[in-house]
Amino acid sequence: MRLSRRHALAGFAALAGFAPTRAHAFGDAGAFHPRIVTSGGAKLDAERTTAPARWAYELVRRTSAPGRLSATSVAFDQPAFAAEPFAIWAGSTALAPLSGPERRGLERFLKMGGVLVVDDLSPASGEFEASARRELRRVLPEVAPVKLDASHVVFKSYYIVERPVGRVQGPAQIEALVRGKYAQVFLLSHDLLGALARSRGGGFSLDVDPGGVAQREQAIRLAVNIAMYVLCSDYKDDQVHAPWLMRRRARRRP
Amino acid sequence: MSARSWALSDDLSSLGSVAALLFAALSIVLLAIELGRRERLGPIIAATGVAATMALALAVLRPVRVTERGSLVGPRVIVLVDQSRRLDLPAEDGTARRVHAEAAVAAVRSRFADARLGVLGFGEGPPGPVPDSGFGPRRSAESDLAGAVGALAESTGERPRAVVVVSDGRLSRPAPGSDDAALKQAVGALGVPLHSVRLAEAGPKDASIRSVRAAGAAVAHQPLSLTIEVGCAGGLECTDVPVAVREHRQGVEPAVLASGTARVEDGTATLELRITLERAGARVVEVSIDAPEGDRVPDNDRRFVTFSVARERVRLLHVAGRPTYDVRTLRQWLKSDESVDLVAFFILRGMTDDTMTEDDSELALIPFPVEELFTEHLPSFDAIVLQDIDAVAYKLDRHLPALARYVEAGGGLIMVGGPSSFAGGNYAGTALERVLPVEISEKVEPHEAAEFSPRFTEVGRSAPVLGALFDLLGEDLPTMTGSNTLGKPRGASFVLMEHPRRKVGGAPMPVLALGESGDGRSIALGVDGSYRLAWSELAAGVSGRAFGALWDGLLGWLMRDPRFEVARAEVVGQCISGEETTLRLHRMPGASGAVAVSVERLGKGSQKVVDQKLPTPPAGPVDVAVGKLEPGGYVARVTVGQSPPARLDFACEKGGEAFSDSRPDGPRLERISAVTGGMSVLAGREATLPQPDATRIAAERHVTPIVPPWVWTALAALFLGAHWVARRRGGLT
Repeated sequence: MRLSRRHALAGFAALAGFAPTRAHAFGDAGAFHPRIVTSGGAKLDAERTTAPARWAYELVRRTSAPGRLSATSVAFDQPAFAAEPFAIWAGSTALAPLSGPERRGLERFLKMGGVLVVDDLSPASGEFEASARRELRRVLPEVAPVKLDASHVVFKSYYIVERPVGRVQGPAQIEALVRGKYAQVFLLSHDLLGALARSRGGGFSLDVDPGGVAQREQAIRLAVNIAMYVLCSDYKDDQVHAPWLMRRRARRRP
Repeated sequence: MSARSWALSDDLSSLGSVAALLFAALSIVLLAIELGRRERLGPIIAATGVAATMALALAVLRPVRVTERGSLVGPRVIVLVDQSRRLDLPAEDGTARRVHAEAAVAAVRSRFADARLGVLGFGEGPPGPVPDSGFGPRRSAESDLAGAVGALAESTGERPRAVVVVSDGRLSRPAPGSDDAALKQAVGALGVPLHSVRLAEAGPKDASIRSVRAAGAAVAHQPLSLTIEVGCAGGLECTDVPVAVREHRQGVEPAVLASGTARVEDGTATLELRITLERAGARVVEVSIDAPEGDRVPDNDRRFVTFSVARERVRLLHVAGRPTYDVRTLRQWLKSDESVDLVAFFILRGMTDDTMTEDDSELALIPFPVEELFTEHLPSFDAIVLQDIDAVAYKLDRHLPALARYVEAGGGLIMVGGPSSFAGGNYAGTALERVLPVEISEKVEPHEAAEFSPRFTEVGRSAPVLGALFDLLGEDLPTMTGSNTLGKPRGASFVLMEHPRRKVGGAPMPVLALGESGDGRSIALGVDGSYRLAWSELAAGVSGRAFGALWDGLLGWLMRDPRFEVARAEVVGQCISGEETTLRLHRMPGASGAVAVSVERLGKGSQKVVDQKLPTPPAGPVDVAVGKLEPGGYVARVTVGQSPPARLDFACEKGGEAFSDSRPDGPRLERISAVTGGMSVLAGREATLPQPDATRIAAERHVTPIVPPWVWTALAALFLGAHWVARRRGGLT
């Protein structure tokens, strides 16, 4: 049997997330790398620690994009935070107020064009999201969250996604902080990482609610689309794609 | 010789003299009126009254006798000889009109042997002195007689008594079609006769391109309408004349842009052809006709026009083999630049990727239109960025020869590193390799994973292309994760950054190199981590601006943005085949070192025709004589110090504008002479030209009163007394 990239990745992904490593292969430097932000006391619970690596794995498996299957954590006030343009700020409880250096680090990251996904792992309580919004208001007081409509590029950057879902179905729209032409902070109330997380046994760590294979697949597709948006920005908004996408959407309508 | 005359007293102004005479005349009129009331002695009253008035007037005017001694000298006559290159065209007998002009000047000298003759040449601007033959080494494109006469009229020296114009009459000014009033206004400023010697009555059998006019400015990728006027003269039979427009490029045969047929009626035809120039900058275009049999002036069957092609926006194709942070950062920077019209294609799904879909309708993917992009649309791009894309896997390999030709024809190319770039992307040994600034070897590992920080070379430190980056970061460059294996720099390429450890041929391996290939430029960047200039701890210190500084320089250099050139070159005057051509170089501030200039003819297989070095050039603009060039398009490259060269494309013509219309215009000369009171003669009949009067030069002048002033006063008193007595006796008060 020929060992494909996908098989190799699958094996590696089973270990990834538990043994953080640095990428050294040529070509990995610019690979998608979901970093977990710990500022404000944010942290992933044990069930979701594999989710970032799985996110990268699903991207590599399904697309041509490279991804780093190692999970790393970073804080807004660390110099390394400005070394890559993507990070995930996820948690299930309320965040502590950010320190001055943390606020400045986040502000610099966003002004340099970075993308941050804020994922509420406990949407029922909403404590994390509310506190994250509070801190973002302090960092970018002039930018108010807006609801992204269905035509936003994040819903067509790879898959055609009709609505956002995660472990829970959540709101039908994503809110985001948009600066200039680009959405830079995605505010998710869907526990996206919860839908991606895998257990040591190989299955998914958490059940999706209301449930079904299709919901988890849609959640993975949203994750892939967000990754593609990070890697290609608004590429799929280019005029050359428009007629194709219109035809595709028309074909999918009942 | 001496001459006698008389005059009024010098101490009285002309106005005073006139007033005195008017006063005297009025007195006599009043006397005549009074005589009607006299009782007797009418004649005596009238005689004494008139005598008294005249004596009084003479006492005021005091006439003097003037005796002059002097000599007569020949009149000043100016000969204006047409200096246009057009006089190198043949007259009726086949000899150059210039030969006839030289003979005419000699004949005029003979005719005006007694005159003080000045021979000046006219062409553009004020007339200037010429050798006795009437011709200097320089020729002009124009025949501006009106300007020459105007300059003579404004000069402070002695005015000539006559002007003799020696020309074939095909003057730039006064313009053809001017009426007599316009002619007089144009050449009548001197107020003297303009005689003319007509050098030819009829032109040779000739089909020519009279003019090439463009409607508006040339803009890259946009159609430009050329209006081409074709003329047939001298009895040459013309009906349908084929016309072709070609663009001259370096290293390749001229490309045909348009062609058509000019249908000649009454000796002229006007044809409109639309061309599209794809590349911005100076572009050399040749317009030529296929002249009918019997054409005796082949030099004007083609014109070379140098268009300065502007660019509205840089139309750029960005093709990436996979999306990465490097691709993202470059795309976002390009999209942020309003002057860039970006067309992007990224490979988002590889051959082995499992999309987990039932069909493609669930995907927002489109096929990679490689055929369309690299055949139909290729010329429409100003530059192409190939980033980490495998040529074989994505069927780019079959288009690499066309891509190489695109670069050689003036396009820009940047290959950005990654596992699927250079040798890793199967580009080694392909046609594209020959247009890259570095060699690519198939026999070595295509890339290496070891981390390193690129190092500026000496050229990189001084090149304007990296000036902004160097100003921001100095010698510190961010760490890169691995590098492509690049070979030795090719030909006249320049290495701006090198690897601190890896070697190629004993020298440090290039990391960033740039060079020219044909008319185009190309850049090789052997890393996939240039995004670290935007995203790294080092980059954060300058808010990520270093990425823009690098790419602004690279794209700007590729597009020949003057900001990133080391010098600017221009042709002094015009480049006319057979005449000395001079290039003027303006170095950019900060550019220092030896200046090297090479000139190469555009076209296939051409070689350098000029290669000069100035080890210690003077400050300021530098003039470099490049000698006499043949007709055609040329590229001049200027290097200052070790920097990459600046480039100037220019054209050389035989005769140029002056040859465009070979017909003489004798009637215009005849009319010019007529409106100024001069005479027009055909060459050979200069002896019939009228001689102006000699000019008298005074050497001595004696002024003697006719009688002493008191005599006029005494006579006036005497006659006034007599008149008073006669009036009393005659019954007048």
